[in-house]
Amino acid sequence: MMIIDMIKKVIRVFRVVWIKSPAQVDVRYTPMHHPARYRGQHTIDYESCIGCDACNKICPVHAITMKELPLKKQNIVPEVNLSVCIFCGLCEDVCPTKPSKSILLSGGRYDMLSGGWHEDQEDFWVNVDIPQSYIESRLEEEEATRVKKELAAKKRKAIAKAKAMGTDVSKPTFDGTPDFSGGAK
Amino acid sequence: MQKIKDILKEFSTEYIEDYKKIWIKSKLTTSDSLLSVAKALKEEGLRSLSTVSPTDFPDTDTIEMNYFFEDLQTKRNLWLKCDIPREIEKCEIASLTPLFASANWHEREAFSMFGVRFLNHPDLRPIIASEDFKGKAPFRRDFDWDAHEKDTMIHMKMIVDAFKEEQENNEINLDADSSEMVLNWGPTHPASGPIRLRIHTDGEEIISVDPDIGYVWRALEHLVTKKDFIGAIVAVERLCFMDNINSMVGYSMAVEEIAGTEITPFAKWMRVLLGEVARVSSHVMGLGGFFNNLGLHTLFMWNMDMREFFLDFLESYSGARIATAAIEPGGVRYGLDMTMFDELQKAIEKFDEGIDEVYTIFVQNPTMKMRAKQVGQLSADDIEDFGLSGIVARGSGVKTDIRMDEPYAAYDEVDMEYITQKDGTSYDRFVMLFEELKQSVNIIRQAKKHIEDGVASGAFNPTKDHMVKVPKKLPKGEAISRVEWARGEVLMHLVTQEKSSKPYRLKLRAPSFNHTMMLDHLLKDKTLSDVPLVFGSLYICQGDLDR
Repeated sequence: MMIIDMIKKVIRVFRVVWIKSPAQVDVRYTPMHHPARYRGQHTIDYESCIGCDACNKICPVHAITMKELPLKKQNIVPEVNLSVCIFCGLCEDVCPTKPSKSILLSGGRYDMLSGGWHEDQEDFWVNVDIPQSYIESRLEEEEATRVKKELAAKKRKAIAKAKAMGTDVSKPTFDGTPDFSGGAK
Repeated sequence: MQKIKDILKEFSTEYIEDYKKIWIKSKLTTSDSLLSVAKALKEEGLRSLSTVSPTDFPDTDTIEMNYFFEDLQTKRNLWLKCDIPREIEKCEIASLTPLFASANWHEREAFSMFGVRFLNHPDLRPIIASEDFKGKAPFRRDFDWDAHEKDTMIHMKMIVDAFKEEQENNEINLDADSSEMVLNWGPTHPASGPIRLRIHTDGEEIISVDPDIGYVWRALEHLVTKKDFIGAIVAVERLCFMDNINSMVGYSMAVEEIAGTEITPFAKWMRVLLGEVARVSSHVMGLGGFFNNLGLHTLFMWNMDMREFFLDFLESYSGARIATAAIEPGGVRYGLDMTMFDELQKAIEKFDEGIDEVYTIFVQNPTMKMRAKQVGQLSADDIEDFGLSGIVARGSGVKTDIRMDEPYAAYDEVDMEYITQKDGTSYDRFVMLFEELKQSVNIIRQAKKHIEDGVASGAFNPTKDHMVKVPKKLPKGEAISRVEWARGEVLMHLVTQEKSSKPYRLKLRAPSFNHTMMLDHLLKDKTLSDVPLVFGSLYICQGDLDR
C-alpha cells in the first residue's frame, strides 16, 4: 500500500515534466490579451493626412508636435512623443480622414518599450519618415495645380475682357496663351 | 424641503430656487449671516457639510463660496452660495468647522488653494499643497504657474528644510525623559501608499494622529481648466485608477446638464454596466488591500487574478485596462461589439467560481474577526457629523447610496437595495465591501441582460446609439453632479463661462478626504499595531485624497 502511495506521489511530481504550464508564455512578445481596440503605438499615414492640426489641438498632454513640410498645402504631419503620451486615443477620435484614420493607435504595438536598453529620450518618438521622392512629387503636383490655376485665371480674365468689349463670349479671341480648356474646366 | 426654504426666507437672500429633485439652491446677499444660517440648518437636520468650493471671479473682484449641505437621513440637500471680496487681506469668512466637523479639512483646502481665511477655524494650516505654495493661492485664476515652476530647485530645498525643521522641533517639544515620540508612518510604508501619518505615541499607545497628505497632488482641478471639455476626461479619470469610470460619469453628467443634452438609453445602460465593472475591479482590490495591511497577501493575489478578467472586458471595450477614458460627455465613447459580452460572461463565471472560497476562508476568518471587530468603530452620528459616505457610512448602518438617493444613468431602472451593517467596526466595513461586490455583479447581470434584450428587440443599436453630439462651446452656467463612486460620494461642481471651450472651474469632492480626517478620531488611545488595520478598513485611495 505504502509503495503504491509513494509511486503515486512520484508520478504526481514528475507530471510537470510533460505538462505545459500556463505561465510559460513570455508576455513580452506574446500578449495574454490583445483586443482590436488596444491603444498602442501610433501609426501615422502621411499620405492621407490633410494637415488639419486637430490631433495636436485635442492632445491633453501635448505629446504631439507637427512636423513642417516644405509644401504649401497639407504641410504639417503629426509626430508623437511616446514618453509623454498617455494613450487616451483622443487624437484618433478627432482625425477626420476617411475611411481609415491618418493617426491610428487602435491595434497598435504593445511591445514598444521592450527590446533592449534605451539611452535616449528620442527613442520614444514616433517619427514620420517621408521619402524625398514623395515630397518632390507633391511639389510637382502643387506646381502643376498652380500653373493650371494661373492659366484658368488668365482665361477668365480674357473672357471678361471680351464680354466687356461686346464680342462673342463662347468663342474668345486668341490672346497668345495656348488652349488648355480641355484640362482647365 | 419647505422647512429649509422657510429658514432661508428669514435671512436676506438673492434667490431661493429648486434645483434637481432633492436640492435647493440659494444665494445669501451677505457672508455675515452664513454662521446663523448654518446653525439653523443644522438644527433642521442638515448635519453634513459635503464640501466647500470657492470659485474665483477676477472680473468682478469676488470669490464665490459654495457650500453643499446634506441630510443623509431624509435626503434633503442645500446648495448655498455667498460672495466674499477677493483681495487677500479682506478675503475671509466665518468658519463652519465648530458647527460641522466635516468642514475642517475642506476649509483648510480652500485656504491653501484660494487663500480664503476662515475666522475661528481651530487649525487653519495649509494642506495638500507643498511648502513652496505656502502663502500663495495656486488655484486663483491669476496665479502664474510658469513663473512658479522656474524655481524648482529652491522649492525642493524649501520642502526638505521644512521637513528637517519639523523633525528638529519634535526633538525639542517632546519630553526627553518620557517614552513619547513622533513616528512617521509612511510615505513609503508598505501598507500606507503615498501618505505620511505623524503619529504621536507614548510607547505603544497613540496620543494623536496628524496625516500629512499631498504626495501625489497633481492639481487635477486646475489641469481640467487647461483642457477642452472632452480632453478633461483624462484628468478626471485620474482621480483614482481603481474606479475611473464613475468619476468620468459624474463629470460628463455635469457637462451634459449645462449643454442641455439628453443621452440615449443605451448609453445610460452602458454607463451602469461599465461603472459596475469598474466598481468590482476596485472592490476586489479593496478586499485584498485590507488583508494586505494585516500582512496576508493570499487574498490580494486571488483577487487580482479575478480582477484581470474584468479588466479584460474593459480593455476589449475601450482599448486600455486601467486608464480607459471610456466615458465622454454625450454618452459612452465607443460602440459595443456584442462578442465582448462573452468576455464579461467569462469574468462573471470566474467571480462566481471564486467568491464562495473567499467567503469561507477570509470573510469568516476567526483571527481577522477577533482583531477587526475591536477597532475602528464609527457610530451613525459620526457618519453624519463627518460627512462620510460609501462603504464606511453604510457599514455603520446609515442608508446612503447616491445610486438610489439621486438615481443617475439608468440606476432608476435597476433592481437594488441598500446594503448596510450594524456596528460600524473595521470588520463591518470589510463585510460591506464583500456584500457590495456581490451586489455589483448582480447589477452587471441585470445591465447585460437589459442591453442584450434591447439589441435583440432592435431598441438599441450598439454601434450607433452610444453617442449624442455635445456642442464644443457651452453656454454660461454651472451644475453639480453626484455619483456613487467605489469609495463613496463624489460631488462635482462645474462652472462654465459664456461660449467657453474649457471648464472654468471644476471642484472634485473626494470621499477619501473625509475618511482620512477620521484617522485621529479612530486611532486615539489605540496601539500602533491597529494603524494598518484601521487605515486599510477605511478604503482610502491617495489619488482622490490629494487630487
